[in-house]
Amino acid sequence: MLKYILKRILISIPLLFGISLLTFFLIQITPGNFFDTLKLDPQVSPQTIAHYEKLFYLDKSLFQQYWHWLKNLLHFNLGYSFYYNAPVSQIISSRLFNTFILSLSAMLATWLIAIPLGIVMAVNRNRFIDKFLSIISFISLSVPSFFLAIILLYFASKFGGLPLGGMQSADFDQMSLLGKLLDVGRHLVIPTVVISIGAIASLQRIMRGNLLEVLRQQYILAARAKGLPESRVIYKHALRNAINPLITILGYHLSGLLSGAALIEIICSWPGIGSVMLTAVRAKDLYLVMASMLMGGVLLFLGNLLADIMLAWVDPRIRYTDS
Amino acid sequence: MKHRNKNIFIRTTVIKKLLISLVVFLCSVQVALAQDTVSDKYGGQLVFTTTSDPRSFNPVVAKENSTSAVIGYLFEGLTKTDGATLEVLPSLAKSWQVSDNGLVWTFYLREDVLWSDGVPFSADDVVFTFNELIYNDEIPTSSRDIFTIDGKKFEVKRISDHVVQFTLPMRFAPFLRSMGTSIMPKHALKSAVDDKTFSFTWGIDTPVDQIIGTGPYLLSLYQPGQRVVLKANPLYWGKSSEGERLPFIQRIIYLIVQNQDVALLKFLEGETDSCDVRGTDYPLLKPLEKEKNFTVYDLGATFGSNFIVFNQNPRVNPKTNKPFVDPIKLSWFQNLEFRKAVAHAIDKKRIVQIVMNDLGYPQYSAMNPSAGIFYNPNVLKYDYDLEKAKQILADAGFVDRNKDGIREDKDGNKVEFNLFTSSNSAERLQIAAIIRHDLEKIGLKVNFLGLEFNNLVAKLIGAYDWDAILIGLTGGIEPHFGKNVWVSNGQLHFWNPGQEQPQTQWEARVDEIFNLAVQELDDKARKPLYDEWQMIVSRELPLIYTVLGAGISAVRNKFENLNPTVYGGVFHNLEELYIKKKYR
Repeated sequence: MLKYILKRILISIPLLFGISLLTFFLIQITPGNFFDTLKLDPQVSPQTIAHYEKLFYLDKSLFQQYWHWLKNLLHFNLGYSFYYNAPVSQIISSRLFNTFILSLSAMLATWLIAIPLGIVMAVNRNRFIDKFLSIISFISLSVPSFFLAIILLYFASKFGGLPLGGMQSADFDQMSLLGKLLDVGRHLVIPTVVISIGAIASLQRIMRGNLLEVLRQQYILAARAKGLPESRVIYKHALRNAINPLITILGYHLSGLLSGAALIEIICSWPGIGSVMLTAVRAKDLYLVMASMLMGGVLLFLGNLLADIMLAWVDPRIRYTDS
Repeated sequence: MKHRNKNIFIRTTVIKKLLISLVVFLCSVQVALAQDTVSDKYGGQLVFTTTSDPRSFNPVVAKENSTSAVIGYLFEGLTKTDGATLEVLPSLAKSWQVSDNGLVWTFYLREDVLWSDGVPFSADDVVFTFNELIYNDEIPTSSRDIFTIDGKKFEVKRISDHVVQFTLPMRFAPFLRSMGTSIMPKHALKSAVDDKTFSFTWGIDTPVDQIIGTGPYLLSLYQPGQRVVLKANPLYWGKSSEGERLPFIQRIIYLIVQNQDVALLKFLEGETDSCDVRGTDYPLLKPLEKEKNFTVYDLGATFGSNFIVFNQNPRVNPKTNKPFVDPIKLSWFQNLEFRKAVAHAIDKKRIVQIVMNDLGYPQYSAMNPSAGIFYNPNVLKYDYDLEKAKQILADAGFVDRNKDGIREDKDGNKVEFNLFTSSNSAERLQIAAIIRHDLEKIGLKVNFLGLEFNNLVAKLIGAYDWDAILIGLTGGIEPHFGKNVWVSNGQLHFWNPGQEQPQTQWEARVDEIFNLAVQELDDKARKPLYDEWQMIVSRELPLIYTVLGAGISAVRNKFENLNPTVYGGVFHNLEELYIKKKYR
């Protein structure tokens, strides 16, 4: 098992290298650089712009620039953001926690609601509750999340009660600790609902399918025939097997914890990593783009690895060998 | 009897008590009133929205406006420009003198100014700001370009603790106004200059209490992506005309939001006190004024321009040995009659109607109508007249000979060209679409394409491979700062940049005007020169101006002393504003 993990980590290195190389050259293919906006200012001389470009290595050849970036990366230096005039690591870390809070809240909401709903639907297959929830889930799957966000914000502005985006109120600093928690909680409601509603719908359908699949198995029939109470049949025997495939999905969700839901963050003015990434790409803030892409890559890889390990841990039938 | 007596007794004590409490109450009211006359105006907070994070707390290296808005209250210059009258007023310098030849300026600094960490402000700080920051070649700053004339720097010298002398290489009219540049604390920044880290000092990762200024406010908190909070500087030197210590408003909060729509919603919700209003939002906001207790101010034409420029660059691309512009097209673009016809064909009124919801202004002059005395309202105006435009084209030999709806030039070439604009600006895309439609009506075929901003800039001032571009510049009140656009060797002389010798007579005259006017210190004497320049531009049409937006702001009715202007914005006199009692 340890060997397997080591191997996975080793494989990831060229993968991440490839991601960074691709990102770097894709950005460079688009014309111009960050300082182009300055070029149209009548009060800024070309010498000043050349000075900036020199300061940030933009006057060197592409390979030199990439090498410079890579060398810094190996020293755990992610470079400097032109746009924010600060180290990239600083920018990202100042926002990472916010994204984490939102993703965590959305993830908890998704799993804590979707799994029980899926079970309820499977157990009551073809009854009213199953059909009703199915309709609801189809509707929530088909509404685009950004649209839902806008609608919810509209209602919030119409009827009050919930804040219109952001993460803290203007007078957050004067609140007590409890007040602060409640304030962030209030701000969390809309983005959490928006992110999780689609995920709940799809996850509950998967859960329902899996459970129904398992309930058709012979050993369930055997358990029932043994005279076990229905609850024991479902929760002890069926559920454990039904939940297995969901762990892979959980891995993907984990990898998304920090890369977040950029679109919703932007619509709801959530001060996370998503809006920074968007700004970085639009402004051609080279090193910030590189860092956020690389971070996404690393997290996806870690999430997958974690999912694989959990799967092996939950299901004894799965063993990773290095054959 | 006894019983009754008691009753009376009780009653009198009650009345006594009431009387006493009344007296006490009146006294306390009096005390409160007495206190009010002293500290009547202090307190309260002002909440703004801004659509982007500050990008630096260092005004020397800060490169754009969004940052200056937030840090503008932290630092001060020797002078400042009055947001309403546009006059140059004393700030850190209480007075100044200029030598008869206009080259030596002596500034007498205020002696009561403290940096926010308590260290006294002195001439050393001014000398440091210029000699070690702005003129430091290691530090990239666009300020250096303003304070360098023909490659020569100003000589900045300390005369005594509170006297500084500037010696200029030549007379420089915008000098006094440009002395509004922020002065930085030597004691706090000297070490960063010495170890060559100044370019990275006072970034947004610096703890806020380390940012030291002389301005009316201090940084109190910065939460990335959420808000910037400023608090009143207790050491601020400014006094109101009644001698009260400024500023009155104790906290300023900038909420950072993703876009203008959120800003608008937050304002309507009552979360913020002020909000910029786009033309399209106006009909939504205006009817809510009473109900939501705010006022919408229309401040007049904003400073950002929108114009069409035709490429008149006659040179050959040294890399490919081909002309930058197809010679056939070049002959059209260089033809003044052609440009006049285009000017007559642009329906500015309709653009204002459609794009700006009727809240905008047609623009004819190279200076902005809000720019005060240097604006020349009497330039040539090209009214929207398709018949006239067609006539001009026909007279110049552009006639539709094969009746396909598109004119041909004298040699039979179809008049068809590309119009580029920035795809990042929805407003400009709309304007370009309307113009394209207008030009088609007079028989000019226009292929219109939105380009990504960086790409557009690369074409405009690097590759020169374009026919016509619709773009804009941010303007100001000082015409000289547009020099790079107007003088013939300027890099931003879009239609034919970087000329070694002026190619036309009128360009030679504009060069002359800019050279003369910058050496003329009296605004009244400068005005006729700049008037002439605007007249020439409107006659020769190197840039064909279109429309200007209106600066509209909505402000909650909680402030006293408000005096919104388009130059200074709603809160240009922020330190003198105070909040009505019930909103504190």
